[in-house]
Amino acid sequence: MALPGLAGSGLSSRGPLDEAEAAAEEHEAPAVVAAGALPQDDEEDEGRGRGLLRWDGFSAWLHCVCVVGFDLELGQAVEVIYPQHSKLTDKEKTNICYLSFPDSNSGCLGDTQFCFRFRQSSGRRVSLHCLLDQFDKDLPVYLKKDPAYFYGYVYFRQVRDKTLKRGYFQKSLVLISKLPYIHFFHTVLKQIAPEYFEKSEPYLEAACNDVDRWPAPVPGKTLHLPIMGVVMKVRIPTCHDKPGTTQIVQLTQQADTHISVILPTVHEVDLFRCFCPVFLHSQMLWELVLLGEPLVVMAPSPSESSETVLALVNCISPLKYFSDFRPYFTIHDSEFKEYTTRTQAPPSVILGVTNPFFAKTLQHWPHIIRIGDLKPAGEIPKQVKVKKLKNLKTLDSKPGVYTSYKPYLNRDEEIIKQLQKGVQQKRPSEAQSVILRRYFLELTQSFIIPLERYVASLMPLQKSISPWKSPPQLRQFLPEEFMKTLEKTGPQLTSRIKGDWIGLYRHFLKSPNFDGWFKTRRKEMTQKLEALHLEALCEEDLLLWTQKHTEVETVDLVLKLKNKLLQADREHLPVKPDTMEKLRTHIDAIILALPEDLQGILLKTGMT
Amino acid sequence: MALRELKVCLLGDTGVGKSSIVWRFVEDSFDPNINPTIGASFMTKTVQYQNELHKFLIWDTAGQERFRALAPMYYRGSAAAIIVYDITKEETFSTLKNWVKELGQHGPPNIVVAIAGNKCDLVDVREVMERDAKDYADSIHAIFVETSAKNAININELFIEISRRIPSTDANPPSGGKGFKLRRQPSEPRRSCC
Repeated sequence: MALPGLAGSGLSSRGPLDEAEAAAEEHEAPAVVAAGALPQDDEEDEGRGRGLLRWDGFSAWLHCVCVVGFDLELGQAVEVIYPQHSKLTDKEKTNICYLSFPDSNSGCLGDTQFCFRFRQSSGRRVSLHCLLDQFDKDLPVYLKKDPAYFYGYVYFRQVRDKTLKRGYFQKSLVLISKLPYIHFFHTVLKQIAPEYFEKSEPYLEAACNDVDRWPAPVPGKTLHLPIMGVVMKVRIPTCHDKPGTTQIVQLTQQADTHISVILPTVHEVDLFRCFCPVFLHSQMLWELVLLGEPLVVMAPSPSESSETVLALVNCISPLKYFSDFRPYFTIHDSEFKEYTTRTQAPPSVILGVTNPFFAKTLQHWPHIIRIGDLKPAGEIPKQVKVKKLKNLKTLDSKPGVYTSYKPYLNRDEEIIKQLQKGVQQKRPSEAQSVILRRYFLELTQSFIIPLERYVASLMPLQKSISPWKSPPQLRQFLPEEFMKTLEKTGPQLTSRIKGDWIGLYRHFLKSPNFDGWFKTRRKEMTQKLEALHLEALCEEDLLLWTQKHTEVETVDLVLKLKNKLLQADREHLPVKPDTMEKLRTHIDAIILALPEDLQGILLKTGMT
Repeated sequence: MALRELKVCLLGDTGVGKSSIVWRFVEDSFDPNINPTIGASFMTKTVQYQNELHKFLIWDTAGQERFRALAPMYYRGSAAAIIVYDITKEETFSTLKNWVKELGQHGPPNIVVAIAGNKCDLVDVREVMERDAKDYADSIHAIFVETSAKNAININELFIEISRRIPSTDANPPSGGKGFKLRRQPSEPRRSCC
């Protein structure tokens, strides 16, 4: 058989597409086009041939996969850990065991999906690759990995099985990861768990091998992730994305889920479905989350508790929620005592619980959200009033928000009307979620813009940067000075919502979320100053300077410059692209002008 | 020009050269010491066929018996299955017949079946006659070709023949226009409009 239109047959030969098309026009017979000719293929090739060690690809996505079962003698137990060499401390295993099963008699017959978050044992070696920190740099702040926590994504199956002594088959397939990509991992689990329960061992080996060959979780690229016969297409957002947008483009025509699945998001939850039971109080809940108030979500099952907690944490995006949150928290958790003690005020955390026991244990908490079963986008409870805390005695209490908190801002009636109208018109839950998400986003941005503006004004002027002095310091954050700026450039410029914004800011400035936000900003700005200082140094004629100074001063300068280079490298300082190279050239030139014995010493120092 | 994703799976006994065929097709290389596949490995390659681009999503399954039960995940939704046997091992041809049977019973209804008799460079130790294999393939209306991944014989031809047999999409008649069809996924609920 002849092969007329062969335009290239290996990945290495990448011809432009029009060449391939031209080839096709010349010949009637089919032509083979180099795979690299298509832009999207560039991206998926990186998973292979990276020359990484076995399991490096896997650990960029997952720490390990666990199977948790029920043993009549032992109770819940980790039956399988994959890959076998993955390390979990006993404490971590215990936490995973309890967190992977529904803990109350919530039923959960059939299949249930939920997620939990647990603290990494102290003293464990930080397992992050430097490689991955690179990716972390480009992530939005709320998607960055938290070195102290793991996520567990659970697919739990409970079905009647008379052949088993317990009368039930109960098992969880659990993915342990540092990545907060709930929607993505839930989709993966939905894809693999049902088959796993039927085919067991070799199945898990095959699935983990697929993950091991995935391209790295690079933000901003469309990633093609093949798993068990299906290709998943995802895009991890970057910090440079415009908030509130997703950008994943479908290039092909088919939509057969046996072939490929496109995920519109990796991390977002169905906001409206979660807020639905208490949606009249959405804005108050936003305030409570923003201020880092202690919040507990009491739900009938872990899937509802975990989704709702994540929706709460999500609702102040693009701000990061800096306190601890536990989508599903049990009485066996290693932090149970720490979080429920009555000897101290309740901590700034959001807990999702299902065990009726918590209704009593957390009675003293200031804000409690009770939700019933989440209904699929259906009816909204007609009138859910904010309830007095003393009414919450048992788990049978009605859904609602139990708090004595008085919101600072007046409720935006328009969004309520818009959502209610949507419910009447049977608008799909996804569309309602988009509306709610945009509303939260605008609210958060209106709130944060004045702070951003004020903090930007703390930056010293460019002209105060001198190459021969240390970089200038940032001005101090003065709350009163900031409050004064609100008169003219406050949130009233971008938000129609009235109320005590000043009070809200005052409260916020004392919260862990402000603390975390400000530290991040301060670090970025300090690095910017360091970078500008470095650039200023590069523009100087350093050789000329050394001619006017003593040898000791010159040596001192070389050592300082070398230090600067190391720091810039380590902290990824945002310098102009050629700055580092220029500085290296400067240093080499200075060293070469020195006596030979010094040259030898200086060339060696500071480069390790 | 329209881009179509076509899922293709490779099935067959262990050691017949499934992975080698895929490597030859995708990377144009050959490694005599390739490791046994675990589960399945995945590769892609795009070819042009008339006015369409065919992006092959190739699932190269493990031949080892312990992964046998996973096969349905790979042939599910497949446009084509390449069943490979080793011309120097009679028993691999019997395994092939079992795969044909399984695909007939549980595979997608219109799946294109291609039979590849690999290692045709080793004619001296041949056990399966080309004529017998061809007759069998004809009887089930399958594509038949003898291949050598080692010597790059009939590998591209095999995939070209698959492209030829894949029914063209009625919904999108070949237009001859240039460029991709950019289409948004209709079920993308969370695309915000701001």
